Amino acid sequence: MAFFLGIDVGSGWTKAAICEDNELKSYAIVPSGGDYKKAAKEATNLALKKLNLSVKDIKCTVATGYGATMADFANDVISDISCHAKGISVLFSNVRTVIDIGAQFTRAITIDNDGRIINFIMNEKCAGGSGKFLQVTARILHVNIEELGRLSLESKKPVEFTTACAVFAESEAISRISEGARPEDIVAGIHKAMASKIMTLVTRVGMNPDYAVTGGGGKDIGLVKAIDNELRSKAYIPYEPQITAALGAAIFASSK
Amino acid sequence: MAEEKKGRALATKAAASIPKFVRGNLAATIKAKEEGKKVAYAYIADGQDEIMRAMDIVPAWGESFAGVCAAKRDAEKYLQKAESDNFSRSLCTYATCTIGFDMIRSELGVDIVPDAPWGGMGRPDMILGSAQLLCDPRFKWPQATQHYLRDVPIFVGAMYYPPFDPKLNHHEQEKFYVKYCTEELRECVKFCEKHTGKKMDWDRLAEIVELSDKTWDLFIDTYELRKAIPTPMDTGDAMNTMVPLTFNLGTQEAYDFYKQLYDELQEKVKNKEGVVEPEKYRLIWAAGLPSWFALGDFQYFNSKGATFPVEVTYRGCEKIERLELPKTSDPLEHIAWRWVRYWTHWYDKARKRPGSLPKVERIIEYIEEYKCDGVVFHSAFSCRSWHAGIIHQAETLKKVYKEIPILILEGDIVDISSYNEADTHNRIDAFIEAVDAYKSRMG
Repeated sequence: MAFFLGIDVGSGWTKAAICEDNELKSYAIVPSGGDYKKAAKEATNLALKKLNLSVKDIKCTVATGYGATMADFANDVISDISCHAKGISVLFSNVRTVIDIGAQFTRAITIDNDGRIINFIMNEKCAGGSGKFLQVTARILHVNIEELGRLSLESKKPVEFTTACAVFAESEAISRISEGARPEDIVAGIHKAMASKIMTLVTRVGMNPDYAVTGGGGKDIGLVKAIDNELRSKAYIPYEPQITAALGAAIFASSK
Repeated sequence: MAEEKKGRALATKAAASIPKFVRGNLAATIKAKEEGKKVAYAYIADGQDEIMRAMDIVPAWGESFAGVCAAKRDAEKYLQKAESDNFSRSLCTYATCTIGFDMIRSELGVDIVPDAPWGGMGRPDMILGSAQLLCDPRFKWPQATQHYLRDVPIFVGAMYYPPFDPKLNHHEQEKFYVKYCTEELRECVKFCEKHTGKKMDWDRLAEIVELSDKTWDLFIDTYELRKAIPTPMDTGDAMNTMVPLTFNLGTQEAYDFYKQLYDELQEKVKNKEGVVEPEKYRLIWAAGLPSWFALGDFQYFNSKGATFPVEVTYRGCEKIERLELPKTSDPLEHIAWRWVRYWTHWYDKARKRPGSLPKVERIIEYIEEYKCDGVVFHSAFSCRSWHAGIIHQAETLKKVYKEIPILILEGDIVDISSYNEADTHNRIDAFIEAVDAYKSRMG
């Protein structure tokens, strides 16, 4: 028995995935907070604990994500874009376009048959299409970020936002609240604005009908629906979208 | 252009000698007064270098000084100063950096601005602008500068060249453009004569132009040595070695520099001495000015086994024989032909490939000749004239050529607040992995 660990130290969350024979056996997600090193260890220990394993049982570890170098116990570091590509190819072998919506960045990635990157594009220095936008929305509406998807689906009349900029949208949303707009319509409007921004990334990188949404954004059913509407297709969503890069990292670790 | 505060490894000895060149150019603008010479604010690729050299006018290059400020991470004070007088942060930061510098000069009422990186630029006696790059700051920058240097006379010429249109035969239009450029240069000479009180020595100008042609040839011969595998020099060095061509054209020092570089590269090629060992990936820097404050990113590429044997940026010349310039005894007309043909000599090639563009043809030519596996662009937000077309070039390249990996980095030339090192390195990591996958797919 050989176990392989993938650890994805993201700007918002740190994810650990343990694989055996390219199969996911355990995972854990913890907030990254201000100490990435601590978060990496914590996520690893939680994932190990679920299998009653210790660090000694891990044959190889690959780290990825914004704070990958903080996981100093890893044997190698691979970019999160490659890890998302690899992770999704294991989950859905037919998928050729990946949309990763993280806390800070959104990426559109096209991949080949073997889960290797063909092309990728990231949002510019703008939070417009990223998870940050959702965090801002949840804060001004005083709801949990996990509730946004459900709220959005209840919308009858999404608010039309004139901007896809997270900063301007915040003030626009506040204006709409004061005008009496319903929270679900505001959330649906934000989802629509984000989907439109994501659409431009996907168009530039190359759209394939079989696409997947990964990262924390993949957990937001309202956002996924808005993306589906924009792309006129249905996204593949992993069982736990947030751990896709960690899974990919574990798969890379098993090939080391 | 300049060295960073933190030492940056350079592959060639010649590149390592460049900071001395840049310092020398800046020092010359300060010393000019003692030597009874006039100083002119000048802007790169202006076509006026040789006129200045022939009339003993010392050029003070705005872009060079702004690049030094950026590389030394000491530009913020000038950018903020310009911003305080309502110059938007999104304007060309080469321009706003030097405008902020002159605002301080004007406020202090001094000729030499204290605490300026490498001594700063001396106060100009004239401003020689050139708007030929169809870049709005190239018109407005000199005029805005004059706002703070009220007594300094200004000349803004324009060296246009025919636009590319696949349906139009530019050869028919070239003569008109050359005539226009020649007249602009003649006006520049008149302006310089008026403000120096000296007459142009036309024989001397002809000699200088001839030396420039020789320097263009030698530059290309030298850079073509980089086709070797492994390449002996990459873009990280070229961002330094462009200095003599860009800022010292028409001088013996510039020619001698490239002779020295040629010899050094030839030796490296003979010894198969590359920039990185092993050289795994060869990339082209296809467009965009670099972030002068982050030149270390070239080494980051190198650390991944990637090198840049070729770049479009600052390769502002071509072998003279390839331009097929008509013979003329007028050195100004020769400069004009050389300028126009430098841009148009990719037009015929672009016309032959439906949907292509001259800039894309140039990239394709370099990819083929330098055996590149991937393409990198840098989009500097404050340089609209060049960078606005980058996505279009990248899309066109894929459409008319092949699905080669492309990376578009984002940042600025001078404004460090636009830069995120972790994000940039993350993109480079993923790009290198994409290039690796591309190479294995291509066998």
